[in-house]
Amino acid sequence: MNRIFSLFLIILVFASCQNKSNNQNEGTDSTNYSKIDTTHTTKVKKIFYNVPSPIEMSSVIQRSGAIFKGDILCSYKNVEKYISQNKQAIMLGVYGADLSYVRLFEQIQLAMNYLTAIKKLCDAIEIPQEQGSKAIQRMEKNIENKDSLLQIISDTYASTDTYLKDNGRGNIATFVLMGGWIESLFIATQIADYDNPSNKEIIERIGEQKFSLSNLIELLKSYPEDKELQSYIPELEKLKKVYEEVNIEYIKGDVKTDPQKKLTTIYSVAKVDFKKETFEKIKTLAKQIRINLIKP
Amino acid sequence: MKKIIFILIAGFLSYSAYSQCKGFTKKECVPQIKPFTYNGQLNMAVLSPGDVAELVVTFYKGQDYRLFVCSQDNLGKVEFKLLDSERNTIFYNKDHDYVNYWDFHSNATQQLIVQVRVPPLDEDVAVAPTGCVSILIGFKE
Repeated sequence: MNRIFSLFLIILVFASCQNKSNNQNEGTDSTNYSKIDTTHTTKVKKIFYNVPSPIEMSSVIQRSGAIFKGDILCSYKNVEKYISQNKQAIMLGVYGADLSYVRLFEQIQLAMNYLTAIKKLCDAIEIPQEQGSKAIQRMEKNIENKDSLLQIISDTYASTDTYLKDNGRGNIATFVLMGGWIESLFIATQIADYDNPSNKEIIERIGEQKFSLSNLIELLKSYPEDKELQSYIPELEKLKKVYEEVNIEYIKGDVKTDPQKKLTTIYSVAKVDFKKETFEKIKTLAKQIRINLIKP
Repeated sequence: MKKIIFILIAGFLSYSAYSQCKGFTKKECVPQIKPFTYNGQLNMAVLSPGDVAELVVTFYKGQDYRLFVCSQDNLGKVEFKLLDSERNTIFYNKDHDYVNYWDFHSNATQQLIVQVRVPPLDEDVAVAPTGCVSILIGFKE
């Protein structure tokens, strides 16, 4: 009986390993799709949470009319002080955010210095040559081209994230994302002046991080076995508590789809409102969390 | 004895699925997100017929995004929807011949959900195929 049972399981294994194309389901009617929305909690096999990368955050900052303040950045000279792999991953995110910010203002020498620090961290985290350092070498050659730099930073982070997750090190990739997000929030809160009317947009972007913070916390919670990652949750929850004071009034608008352009535009309006006191609390907490993160 | 076999088989199955997907997103999916800039976050799962996966993501005001759902052929026509935070449907690829990518522009920053579903299996198919599904987000500066 045991033999028959084992044989059945082995057949099952081999069948599941087949990579043969099976298009028999192409005509499947999915009229019951709407049911998924109501029963999703029992049917959803996997939930992912995305946090804006440092590049996306810097793009958001750029469109908000940011100014350059080099003295607020985390010093690239400290790179050798980070010994543990988790801290190195955090710093990869932090330096990525600094580099993305520096890139906006074409600070070439500073960009090179951050690049060198990132290269060292990629090696320390054991991102293979073709994934990390090779991209950095490309970056060194294209440093003066702002657009190439964007592409190369993006490729580097994408390759790093993909490599780490492909190799069962998604928790390390999460340290990178957390470092990048906190540093981006820190930079934004340091360069924004709540009372300056021309800073209205960047202040709004800071308020809108309410959504991304929730995603970041959920992402951290998805690695319960990593105690160090979990140790950052209480501080982030404190920040989330302050973010509850940010009121985002959302007015739904039309949704227009252009099949020719394969484009859907969502004409909604969001009114972001929070007091200066709340802004100061966010600024202080972002600074505190960042101090803890960048501590060697 | 049965328990040990089960554990061994389960381990082998998950390793097999894992190996099957290793490198899939990088080779097959990431190059196709251009000219958008990939947000650098790998959202990849091994799914079976009828499985649903979701991605919670923030779209920022005024930014252009590309949503690309990349899956192995053996899974058939994979469906995807973009839902708002109240789970109202904004976009459904079934209405557009199961296209695997679509671009979006939002006039307001908002939290959205990408819901992906592998079509259920026909009753006469004995063995359920498994395959890799990746949800990629690209943005434009």
